[in-house]
Amino acid sequence: MSEVGNSKKILVADDESHILHVVSLKLRNAGYSVVTARDGQEAFDLASAERPDLLITDYHMPQLSGLELCQKLKLDVATANIPAIMLTARGYHLEPNDTEQSGILRMLSKPFSPRQLLATVQEVLMERAA
Amino acid sequence: MKGGTARRRSVGRQGEVTLRRAVFILALTCVLLLCGGGLLLLAAPAGTGGATAMGSPGIDPTFRTAGQVLLFLSGASGVFGIVSLRIAYKSLVARLDAMRDSGRVGHVEAGHPDLAMLVNATNGLIECSEQQVQRALLQVKELEIQLKVATAERRHAEAIIYSISDAVLVTDAFDDVMLANEAAAKTFDFDLASSTRKPIDAVIRDERMIGLVREMRQSHSRSGRRIVEHRMKSASGDRTYKVTLSTVAGASTQSTTGPTGVVAVLHDMTREKEVAEMKNDFVSSVSHELRTPLASIKAYVEMLIDGEADDEKTKTEFYEIIQGEANRLSRLIDNILNISRIESGLVKINKLPQSPSVIVREAVEVIAPQAKLKNIVLKDDLAPAFYQTQADKDMLYQAVLNLLSNAVKYTPVGGTIGVSVKVDEATKKVVTKITDSGVGIPPKDLPFVFDKFYRADANNHMAKGTGLGLAMVKHIVETVHRGKIIVESVVGKGSTFGFEMDLTD
Repeated sequence: MSEVGNSKKILVADDESHILHVVSLKLRNAGYSVVTARDGQEAFDLASAERPDLLITDYHMPQLSGLELCQKLKLDVATANIPAIMLTARGYHLEPNDTEQSGILRMLSKPFSPRQLLATVQEVLMERAA
Repeated sequence: MKGGTARRRSVGRQGEVTLRRAVFILALTCVLLLCGGGLLLLAAPAGTGGATAMGSPGIDPTFRTAGQVLLFLSGASGVFGIVSLRIAYKSLVARLDAMRDSGRVGHVEAGHPDLAMLVNATNGLIECSEQQVQRALLQVKELEIQLKVATAERRHAEAIIYSISDAVLVTDAFDDVMLANEAAAKTFDFDLASSTRKPIDAVIRDERMIGLVREMRQSHSRSGRRIVEHRMKSASGDRTYKVTLSTVAGASTQSTTGPTGVVAVLHDMTREKEVAEMKNDFVSSVSHELRTPLASIKAYVEMLIDGEADDEKTKTEFYEIIQGEANRLSRLIDNILNISRIESGLVKINKLPQSPSVIVREAVEVIAPQAKLKNIVLKDDLAPAFYQTQADKDMLYQAVLNLLSNAVKYTPVGGTIGVSVKVDEATKKVVTKITDSGVGIPPKDLPFVFDKFYRADANNHMAKGTGLGLAMVKHIVETVHRGKIIVESVVGKGSTFGFEMDLTD
């Protein structure tokens, strides 16, 4: 199942440990390198330190929400270009402004399909590479 | 009566005969007067020199004498005629008096056809007048009744308007306040007694409301109705009203094309809006809370289908996660239904004198095994069981159990939980407290811990929860039992949750 040779690093942030676990496993099985964070602040620190190629974040998280995290990353030159995919159980709609100011490129609502998430990840990374 | 009538009849006939005679004599008098006068005129030239021209001076004395005789006769007949006329007059007056005495002119038989006609016409006129008077009297009575009914109806309508809890404000074509009720006086903060017949801008200060009334009146709409939402500041904060403005025909005009007044009805929908928002928040929260475990279940099932779990150990781990999340979902649904049933009043409340100490002891016994698993020491200090409070036993038990369950969840291994029921005889209160040596709640989260689905971020990882336990406790204590919730917490030291209720006499 794994795609050997894919060395892209993905940061996954979610306060639900089961979701964090299942997303990480799906991405690792696909050959990606994964780092995880359990709240917004931890995710911000990791993003600054690790410079991931992509961020997958939950919307509702302690400390910093997913949206606040993305907006904060956008303000720092070092992390401003990290594309983000947001997972949400709140039916949060993405406004054009949000994309511009936060770098969120896709939204997936919970419950989600790991298969679909992987496809979205590949799509976003290909767009970036192009 | 008969004799009197006959006498009046004979007097009447005699009068008519005398009248004819008098007329004849007066006519004769006139003839004599003319003849006598003529002869005297013929004789006149003799005395004035005219006779010389005529040439017959011997005729003059004869003419003069004849003229004088005729004049004398005319004088005599004139006197006689006048006397006859007077007699006739008296007799006619006597007859008219008789007619008047009889009360009805028509009852007197008029001998003369002209008089009969006159009498009949007069009778008709009198009857007509009498009918008119009767009709007018009936109309006056009818109007009096109508006035009484209208006054009663007006009072009734005013009583209805005064009793309406919505604010009602009625203005006329000049934007003067015609009518307002107490709710309006309260809403706009004005003195009801002195508000009528005053311009609207002298009664209320709310510019937008004044503008709305003026706009409505100026629209000249005959059957217009406009509904607007209006927010107003009040002592108790911002309030939202649904304002229904209608035009009505002005009170002073009966014409349908006349000027119009405005009726404004303000319905306070602040609470309705709050409830609607709460409902939306609740649905949104429920949806979020249900989606979270469902997301795990769906993801792990798909991983198993896709063969992402390489070994048996991983597969078993996935099955366990799916089972755990399914249980969490089921528990969540149970709790949501429970709290909804209690809040909507579907659960029958059965309040009886109950001992808080007995209820707390039962709950402690149920929670003890879970506390033992974490090596938590449970200490109790319970007042004698004879102190009682009016309570629904099952609900109060549920509240205590929720508080104890939270205490166990957020107290680390080896901690302590103290349970107390204390009575204050002076204030007639009984206070139940559950104190843990747990992680505590940050001050910023403390005001929200009783909100549905609210979970302090910092403690989210300590334990699984639905975020509904404390909301249920608050509802049971405050809404069902009119008690008071107690909460104190220090981060790192622990929390105290409890409630205060009235003692029964």
